[in-house]
Amino acid sequence: MSSGFVHLHVHSQFSFMDGAASLSGLVARAAELEMPALALTDHQGMSGSIRFYQACRKAGIAPILGCEVVVETAGILGEEGDLPPEKRLVLPASVGFGRASASGYHLTLLVRDFGGYRNLCRLLSKTHLRGPHEPSVVTLRDLETYSEGLIGMSGCGNGEAARAVLARAPGRAREALRRLAGCFAPGDFYVELIHPLTSDGPRLVGGLVTLADELALPVVATNNVHYLRSEDHRIHDVLSSAGARTSLPGPYDRPNAELSLKPASEMRRLFEGLPRACDATLEIAARCRLELPLGQFHFPSAEIPKEETPYSVLAKESWRGLEQRYQPMTPEAISRLQHELTLIDSMGFSEYFLVVKEIVDFAKSKGIRCSGRGSAGDSIVSYALGITDADPIRYDLLFERFLNPARRQMPDIDVDFDSARRDEIIDFIYKRFGHEHVAMVATVNTMTARSAVRVVARSLGLPIAEVNRLSRHLPWVSAHKIREVLATYPECAHHPLRDEHSWGMLLDLAEQLDHCPMHLGTHLGGFIITRDPISSWMPLQWAAKGTVVSQYDKDDIEALGLVKMDILGLRMHSAISEAVELARERMGEDAVPEPFDLVPDDPRVFEQVASADTVGMFQLESSGQRNLSTRLKSSTFEDIIAQISLFRPGPLEAEMITPFIRRRHGLEPVEVPHEGMREVLADSYGIIVYQEQVLLVARAVAGFDLAEADSLRRAMTKGRSREEMERIRGHFLERALARGVDSGVAAEVFRQLEGFAAYGFNKAHAACFAVVSYASAWLRTYYPAEFAAAILNHEPMGFYSARLVVNDARRHGIEIAPPHVNASKARYSIERDGAAIRVGLADVHRMTARLLAAVESEQAVRPFRDLADFLRRTRAELPAAESLIRVGALDGLGITEAGRPPTRDELLALLPEIKAVLAREGVAGDDTLCLAPAPVRPAEDSSHVSGWSAARRVSAELELTGLSLTAHPLSLAAGDLEELGVTWARDLRALPDRTRVRVAGVRERAQTPRTRSGKRTCFLTLEDPTGLLDVVVFSDALERSGEVIVKHRAYLIDGTLQNNCERGLAIVADVVKPYVVRTGSGDRVRLRRGVPSGPMGPALGGAGAPEEESWEAAEAALAAEERGEYGGRGG
Amino acid sequence: MGRNASIKRFSTASAGQPLELFESKRSRLPVIVELLASPWIVRASELTRRDGSCAAKHAEESVDVAWDGAHQLPSSFVREGRVYRIDAIVQMWAAERVWWDPRRRVSRRFWRVLSRGGVYDLAYDRTRDSWLLIGIQD
Repeated sequence: MSSGFVHLHVHSQFSFMDGAASLSGLVARAAELEMPALALTDHQGMSGSIRFYQACRKAGIAPILGCEVVVETAGILGEEGDLPPEKRLVLPASVGFGRASASGYHLTLLVRDFGGYRNLCRLLSKTHLRGPHEPSVVTLRDLETYSEGLIGMSGCGNGEAARAVLARAPGRAREALRRLAGCFAPGDFYVELIHPLTSDGPRLVGGLVTLADELALPVVATNNVHYLRSEDHRIHDVLSSAGARTSLPGPYDRPNAELSLKPASEMRRLFEGLPRACDATLEIAARCRLELPLGQFHFPSAEIPKEETPYSVLAKESWRGLEQRYQPMTPEAISRLQHELTLIDSMGFSEYFLVVKEIVDFAKSKGIRCSGRGSAGDSIVSYALGITDADPIRYDLLFERFLNPARRQMPDIDVDFDSARRDEIIDFIYKRFGHEHVAMVATVNTMTARSAVRVVARSLGLPIAEVNRLSRHLPWVSAHKIREVLATYPECAHHPLRDEHSWGMLLDLAEQLDHCPMHLGTHLGGFIITRDPISSWMPLQWAAKGTVVSQYDKDDIEALGLVKMDILGLRMHSAISEAVELARERMGEDAVPEPFDLVPDDPRVFEQVASADTVGMFQLESSGQRNLSTRLKSSTFEDIIAQISLFRPGPLEAEMITPFIRRRHGLEPVEVPHEGMREVLADSYGIIVYQEQVLLVARAVAGFDLAEADSLRRAMTKGRSREEMERIRGHFLERALARGVDSGVAAEVFRQLEGFAAYGFNKAHAACFAVVSYASAWLRTYYPAEFAAAILNHEPMGFYSARLVVNDARRHGIEIAPPHVNASKARYSIERDGAAIRVGLADVHRMTARLLAAVESEQAVRPFRDLADFLRRTRAELPAAESLIRVGALDGLGITEAGRPPTRDELLALLPEIKAVLAREGVAGDDTLCLAPAPVRPAEDSSHVSGWSAARRVSAELELTGLSLTAHPLSLAAGDLEELGVTWARDLRALPDRTRVRVAGVRERAQTPRTRSGKRTCFLTLEDPTGLLDVVVFSDALERSGEVIVKHRAYLIDGTLQNNCERGLAIVADVVKPYVVRTGSGDRVRLRRGVPSGPMGPALGGAGAPEEESWEAAEAALAAEERGEYGGRGG
Repeated sequence: MGRNASIKRFSTASAGQPLELFESKRSRLPVIVELLASPWIVRASELTRRDGSCAAKHAEESVDVAWDGAHQLPSSFVREGRVYRIDAIVQMWAAERVWWDPRRRVSRRFWRVLSRGGVYDLAYDRTRDSWLLIGIQD
């Protein structure tokens, strides 16, 4: 008799809210217990399968993939509900995530071979995609169809047979086992025995064994593992109750803590009288021999004419494109293209390029703005095909950085499309490749401190107000850092969770939920395109939005060698398209050139960038970039590329910026250890800024070819050990010395490579972005009103809020015309020949799409005369009409007995009366309404048509549109601020470095990015009526003021001005105090809705991601968290 | 003879024989164990009275238990001064309930044992570090 055991029924955290074991923990524990194999059988899906497979292989354990599905009733004919109540079994609670969840009996499936893997993917996909509203229950018919290569087990205590045995219905249990077994090949179905040490466990096991013997079915022992060790059962209880939106003990009321990954000896002892059940685990493990074809590539099929090959088509298209791009053609371009085509062909990637080109060509044919980005910009083939727009020869971009022939890796070409028209691209992809060959990539959303606290608090049954109180103001940090953050972050000084006595257990549990997968999301733009039907590669399911999404994330898809394309929506493309359209409307079709085709050499554009006047410019507008602008004084396109590359976490951490700027301005000499570096680092003053430069330096000094040099770069950037680094160093020095380089010089070059390789930025990526940046800067320079209106029409985007964009436009002399029912369209529009922007009605709170359409169509008939006329013709809903009145969109309409238009208070008083009359009279009576206005309070400001004070008007604007349309809130308190000795933002530049200043501003952003020292520093971006203020709050000041920053919206700051060319312009704060905005007459301006307060955010927008995309993702995640979308429930 | 071998081997006495069904304790034990393990037999511990209470005798009293470390099982217990040697372990189960409320938390491991011809439920309470006799069954 063997003494081993293999766990064949194991849930991980990928059972979403019904599994507490991490994949790495499971694999490590199995290795520790010396188990030869381990299965993964998550509920209704395989989201963890690929990474589990890889982790097992790495640990020397045989991975067994599988799934626990919900299967239709097998023991009776028809549905459970057809039976009389006394004969029904209680159905188990729902399991699975989102639309893949279902309630019903469980069945465990294990993959025997690759055919079985494909069948399981097909079975799951078919089950989940049967219909958007159909439950995800496997039918017996489908089970029979797709059971080849699968081993079935009758399920845990929630299997039909087990439930029937416990309910003393052996006949039904027998029938269920018989029919389920009939779906599998003989010998492939096992009766699953679980002994979870409950009082009825022996009866369950005994009953199932008796039935198995009767039916001549083999038995197998499992432990329905849901957590690693028995002490983890608490986390499992918390997850399952939060997942089912109930409080503890949750939907299953688990009686004990026995569902852990027990050692073989313990499992053998549990089944002491039944060694064959444990032996069967080893037999099954021996039969499951899945080999996933990882490391191979599977491209979708491009359209190849007869008698052509993918390479021949690619070559023809590339040469054609090259002729258009290079006029006149250069020998360098020709040889470069030939070189790249040869390599692409040898690596077998021709078809991939053609597929991307097809999509880009479609976009261009429809006038949809798009641009490639990332390392694809390193390729002249991408440039010639029109996928990217930065000339790789002019900007020294190296193909080997994109595709290294020495390392055959899946190429990755990302393309950004006009977000407003991205759906057209998606439709094209589905039509072109077929719905069976396209799906969206999933993302796995994991828990942070905030979500972990909410999950635990909800499972403990706390009221929602208490849950909100506990999670509010928690910074965006990992859950395992909660206690540290509570103890050290000043903004948490009075946080309720600091009461360890009351919340100690909650914190313990929340810390354990760190990075626990919470639910599957849909990647913002990732599409998988396959040649075979996609469901044979991975399970699919419906996403919340109604699209088909894979259960695998991007890393899994890459591991499988499938093509993932990022069809990303870039709102800046939408804004550029609209700005061009608006400008052409005003100036004529030919007056405005295509901004992407411009030669990037306009000094006026660079002047704006260098003066940090960049609000709205793509990648150049953030407070850090503005600071860099003033220091760098960009004057060429290459400078823009450098600017984009330098303000990234890597270069920031490596402190590359200061030497770069000092050398640029001649404050320190450009020194390189080897003369060969002088030429290749000429653009960056002898400093390695770009990844491409690492390759060039290695070539210049050690004679590496570019592929070798890229391998060297990769080896230096991936988490390398000291020994490995020494080996690389030795290799580099040997090659350099062989070329006659002095050993000291070679060592110094290597030291620099080592220091910078990890931080360098991909120049191709920066160059692709710089094309878009320049286009946006050019539009902002020459068509500022159109550009601002376009930005506002596509908010949220970029670094700043719409409020700031509006204020910035006003500061540039553009009039902001408030929304008005007779002048505004739904969207922002241009008035007075480009001198004014009219605010669109769509931004007014509580406006509906129907009302917007009604207003626009009635405007075309004739202007609105008064409130009654407006209500009668548009049938405006009461809340929307109230918002329009309060924001001033009906100001000046109508006439009262006093011979003046009604005030807003009078309009608000009239509103319900007129609505009531209209409701009574329907549409009859054209303009017969004549009502005595209700008594209202006297006008606060009779000089203004609204009758409202300036403070009240601005407060209403902020509340209803999020914008300050008539004035900046602080301009209303200018007198008070001047009395307090405040210096305005516009005057700071004229003051000398180290001047003590007091400033005041409204909060725009508060960020706490990672710093090299590890100390926490807050970068506050504020706005006063004259401009933007960048305030640095170092850790000691943050200690004093953190809570003020988090809880308030306007601040009064005392600090020291930093104003020098090395560090730029900023205020180093000593004290941050809250400021309550009041007008001279004492009226308070309420910032509440327009200026959100909140925790200091992390440094979002990592390298490569457009800022808007990462903010959008973060905000979407936050919104999902607020809605409590945990999705899964389990059993 | 496979499962329930002792029951199958048991030879029934002919009519009119005295009431002793077993020749000795030694021959009785395996039959009882098999009967107790049988899924189709309903025991008193599983029956409920009309008022919903359990038909078996319930108790909750502290007892001293001798622990067999080699087999990780209780070997005997002392109740009211009398030693009950454990003839067989019928069943084991565990309970971990209401862990989030220290006042109501239950953390016990149970042994249903056969001793002196009766079935007893012993529990080790982890929160109190003590042994309890919690039921006398059947």
